[in-house]
Amino acid sequence: MVTRIWAVGGGKGGTGKSFVSASLGLHLASLGHDVLCIDADLGGPNLHTLLGMKNGHPDLGDFLTNKIPTLEETAVETPFRGLRIIRGTENILFIANLNHFKKLRLLRQIRQLKAQDIILDLGTGSAFNTLDFFLSADPGIIVATPEPTAIENSYLFLKSCIMRVLKLYMDHFGIPELHQKMLDQIEKNSQSLYGFFKSLMETDRSYGTVLYRALRNFRPCLIMNKARDERDVLLGRSMADVARKYLLIDLHYLGAIPYDDRVHSSLRSLRPFYAAHKDSDAAKAVREAAEELAYSVEFSHRTPPEITFPEGR
Amino acid sequence: MIKRIEDWNYYELLNVERTASREEIWKAYQRALSTYNPDSLATYSLVTEEERILIMERIQEAYRTLRDPAKKKDYDLALLKHSVYVPPKAPFRKSVGKMEIEEVGRKPGFGEKLRRLFGRRKPPAE
Repeated sequence: MVTRIWAVGGGKGGTGKSFVSASLGLHLASLGHDVLCIDADLGGPNLHTLLGMKNGHPDLGDFLTNKIPTLEETAVETPFRGLRIIRGTENILFIANLNHFKKLRLLRQIRQLKAQDIILDLGTGSAFNTLDFFLSADPGIIVATPEPTAIENSYLFLKSCIMRVLKLYMDHFGIPELHQKMLDQIEKNSQSLYGFFKSLMETDRSYGTVLYRALRNFRPCLIMNKARDERDVLLGRSMADVARKYLLIDLHYLGAIPYDDRVHSSLRSLRPFYAAHKDSDAAKAVREAAEELAYSVEFSHRTPPEITFPEGR
Repeated sequence: MIKRIEDWNYYELLNVERTASREEIWKAYQRALSTYNPDSLATYSLVTEEERILIMERIQEAYRTLRDPAKKKDYDLALLKHSVYVPPKAPFRKSVGKMEIEEVGRKPGFGEKLRRLFGRRKPPAE
């Protein structure tokens, strides 16, 4: 059995990351999958509330403080069949600033979990911990809303991911001086990513090629949440186009989830929206996004054949 | 491998296949216009105003070429040959296969055609 790790992230708070995680979990569980949701929002966990549960032990903190030896044991059943959850911890001050070794241990244990689908609900912001969780997953889904603030933060999150990917590759190839150069050029002189690659290609083509390939393998997905009209739906596609031209990455647009007032009321009554309103347009959009992803992941991860056009005589 | 905005070919700019029909090209053009128009949120915080204007010009240029079957054919051949495509308004144009010189005469407008058909209208009698 192949375990698929989904991560739901994106820079801004309140865009609906936990909503998408919970709905996705409920959808996959309804398909008969064995699903495990992990509240990886270390600074402000509330995925359990969206699934209609109260906070309590065991939680992620119990594993990170070694009260419970394995991550598997911290998973608890939800009221929904086939769906388990690892709750986030209340002890946020200690956990939110996770050190490197604890993070590696957590990532390793996540990979060893026995479940068909693991959904990581990530926190706000572009901290290294969040980025590493996002990058370790496949697929990684960014949730944005059609507002300038959310879009700005989504691009920032993507940029941070890109810098992180490039740094990991640079560390792997033992070229820290290049990393310094990248930081100097992009952060201090606010040069574009494109500008950095262009100058790198001129000075050191082999590293440039390797790093560019690394970037092409980073294929995040995008969901536009709280869409109110057709323009909002198209905005996601436009963002994917802009990201391809300016950030040099393939951003896969999974579609938009229409705005629904009932999300608020179902949250107040502690009933998951997806379970209560299965036939709503928003629930349908979540299903479609999951199906689109399941269908395209199979194909997008195969390298397409190189197509060469005949040389003119 | 990495291209400047100026180096994106027209199909990459509009994000369409080379085999796209006229309708598909029209739709892609509309999409591109909505992506890069001044009110668009998609470019927010990532694309500067100069870059946005530049890419908008390129999109217009791409659509002007691809909507015209004859120009599209020339452009496709230039792409296949990996040569530089020069818009046909230039008096000297490197055409497919051989160098040819194009005469740049003013094309007869609608009014001129009418005049040719019906002869010069007499000046009004005084």
